[in-house]
Amino acid sequence: MGNKQTIFTDEQLDAYQDCTFFTRKEILRLHGRYHELAPHLVPMDYTNEPECKIPLALIVDMPELKENPFRNRIVESFSEDGAGNLSFNEFVDMFSVLSETAPRELKAIYAFKIYDFNVDNYLCKEDLEKTLNKLTKEELTSEEVELVCEKTIDEADLDGDNKLSYSDFENMITRAPDFLSTFHIRI
Amino acid sequence: DSNQVCLCRETTKTCWIAALEDQDCPPLNYINVCLIVLQVQQMQVPASSNAASWKHNKTKSLRKLKNNFWEFLYYFTLWGRSLQKIGGNFGGGVQSYFLFLRFLVVLNFVSFLLIAGFVIIPSFVLGSAESGFVNRPCMTYDPNPNTLVAFYEYFLHLLSGTGFMEDSFMFYGYYNNNTGTEDGSRAYNIPLAYIFTAIFYFAFCLCCIIARSVAVATGGSTVGNYSMIVFTGWDFGCLGNQATKLKQKNIYYRLQVDLEEERIKKQAASLTPWRKVALYSLRILMFVVALGLIGAAFFGIFKATDFSQVRDGQPGFLGLLIEFLPSIVITTGNFLVPLLCDQIALIEKYSPSITVVMALLRAVVLRLVSLGILLFTLCSQITCSGNAEASACQQCRYDHEKYPCWETRVGQEMYKLMLFDLLVNIALLVCLCFLVCVRIVVDNWSCKLSQLVGRQEFVVPSNVLGLVYGQTVVWAGALFCPLLPLMNTIKFVILFYCKKITLFHNCRPALKTFRSTTSTFFFLVVLLFGWTLALVVMIYSLAVINPSMACGPFRFFPSMWKIVPNSFYCLSKVTQDFLFFIGSQAFSIPLFALSCVIMCYFVALASIYGKSVEMLKAQLKLEGQDKQFLVKQIERLKLQHLMPALRAEVQD
Repeated sequence: MGNKQTIFTDEQLDAYQDCTFFTRKEILRLHGRYHELAPHLVPMDYTNEPECKIPLALIVDMPELKENPFRNRIVESFSEDGAGNLSFNEFVDMFSVLSETAPRELKAIYAFKIYDFNVDNYLCKEDLEKTLNKLTKEELTSEEVELVCEKTIDEADLDGDNKLSYSDFENMITRAPDFLSTFHIRI
Repeated sequence: DSNQVCLCRETTKTCWIAALEDQDCPPLNYINVCLIVLQVQQMQVPASSNAASWKHNKTKSLRKLKNNFWEFLYYFTLWGRSLQKIGGNFGGGVQSYFLFLRFLVVLNFVSFLLIAGFVIIPSFVLGSAESGFVNRPCMTYDPNPNTLVAFYEYFLHLLSGTGFMEDSFMFYGYYNNNTGTEDGSRAYNIPLAYIFTAIFYFAFCLCCIIARSVAVATGGSTVGNYSMIVFTGWDFGCLGNQATKLKQKNIYYRLQVDLEEERIKKQAASLTPWRKVALYSLRILMFVVALGLIGAAFFGIFKATDFSQVRDGQPGFLGLLIEFLPSIVITTGNFLVPLLCDQIALIEKYSPSITVVMALLRAVVLRLVSLGILLFTLCSQITCSGNAEASACQQCRYDHEKYPCWETRVGQEMYKLMLFDLLVNIALLVCLCFLVCVRIVVDNWSCKLSQLVGRQEFVVPSNVLGLVYGQTVVWAGALFCPLLPLMNTIKFVILFYCKKITLFHNCRPALKTFRSTTSTFFFLVVLLFGWTLALVVMIYSLAVINPSMACGPFRFFPSMWKIVPNSFYCLSKVTQDFLFFIGSQAFSIPLFALSCVIMCYFVALASIYGKSVEMLKAQLKLEGQDKQFLVKQIERLKLQHLMPALRAEVQD
């Protein structure tokens, strides 16, 4: 229908449409944004699925992520090598999970990954301290930070091991009414 | 095919979650798992048609349109952006004051539309009163004797509601008792409409206040405060430096509220018994002192009102000053007493939320009862202190020499109170501008002097009481001055901008904020106090005092309420019987019993749900501990099993 684009084959676009929460037009637009970030690295023709990754430093410069205190963690949790270098698939995945139509479980899993700074599959006290400092730009004193972390673990920890596993986190998220609307980046 | 897409997504989710939980599997992204699942599926099923993807696109764009529409609507919410800015910069406590102000603006505007639709527009359409000079006892009333006035007198009339303002739709006296039955063609009973609109206006305001207080009380959840703020507090869609800084400050303020309460709890728990006794006795002493202050203020206001009513009727500027004397004394009292109560609160050392509520409750009694004293004095002047045999009241059952049209006079008093309040606020704003200029000049010269002209905190309780007082004045006066809600809407809009400018240019954020849900609930409780006072005034005017015979829609009735029974008997027999039945015991008692039963059912349901939630929570905890215990057992058994095998290997 309409203009013939040569970036992706039709099957590729259909596959992207089914696996992400974007329409064809949005996927093409995302490819445009991806290409803008590193025009010399990213080929315009994706029909034979090239292997190219954009480094972390270029991605966190995007206007949607620039001011976000969690930008490094977001990009790292969506990259498969853990260092923040995103291929186009991972780039699309990131914005698809952060779009408004992604289901709650998906968002909860990635939110857990983002807040897990030391990547040990648990939210321990150090993770919470780092999260809190990023949230309040380090305006709280250290006793206040201690207190808030203690209280948070107290409230959410269900199995009593003094750190939050994914099931504790998920249980707390289900009680949050505006999680879906706050965990959302518009692109 | 959309079913296929759903199936693909479900399968992907299950596979992906299983892969995540598997410790040996490397971390995979959702999209990669999905692509693999899709490939597998497509090997089994032929490719989907174009029509399916078109339908998928259409539902997507429809949802996007709906979201954009809601965002567009939110942009037009009254003052939405300003309130967000205020909340981010000064915290939820100050924001709750502005939210309360916005609620009152909307309430006043909607009530004005109500009154305009049922009273003012029909009166305008059906014609005004014959303003002739009738020379009969009790009927001598000329609202606008000199139609040609000097310019300054015009201005005086505007300020005090006399002259050309009295002879207009503003006041009760202008409406006539046109029941429309003479024409026969269109019957609109203005007196009946007037009284029913007034009653419905009060009922409507009560419903709005109760609905809002229920929404506020059930809106905030106390469970999981800290974890909610930490994990869901950040809005990932925040764009731009300013918005991010604002959001960070917002989160900081929300945490501050809880942290402050924790700190105070810890402090209270660490007191020795002797210090506790000392603190409580100090608190009781301060309570008595506050009561004493309030009592002294009442006495002063009573004396001033008496003086003003006795020396009434003097011309020129001195006359205007005496007229405004009660308002001046009330405003001074309302300024001084909360100031002193604030100093008292420093000694009492409650938590910030309780301090705000105490300040509110102490000052509200002063504000409302001073208004009540003014109204009571007016009433006793009008009815000669209830003595129908006194010389002034003998002829017309009210003092027709001093008050030929007493309802208009009461309306004028309320109008003057409202206007004076607004003028004081504007004057404060002008003073503030002057202060800011001074500070700029002084900053350039010396730094020490600039500390004297420092920034204050925005004091929420006294400002909220100003709003409650203004609203009570409007409620009390609405029966006598139908345009008062409209003027109050304009006044509150001006007040919003004045206070916003004051806030941003002269105030610093409070060091300790208070919880906004508690405070908003108490703002509404205090507003209800004001509503009750206005209700008492309305009931008394409707049922007890004789309406003026020279003006107004209720000219020849013994009391305003009398028109309702009179009109009732004009209805058809069937309607009368139906209404009698509804009011009788045979209907109301079963209705009451039924509503009690329904209420008990809901209370029981709520308590059962609460209990099952607690039980399930405890069960979850136990399951977690069971799981840990079992995991430890498995480890131990593994070790036990392995040890002999290891020993055997080592020996070999």
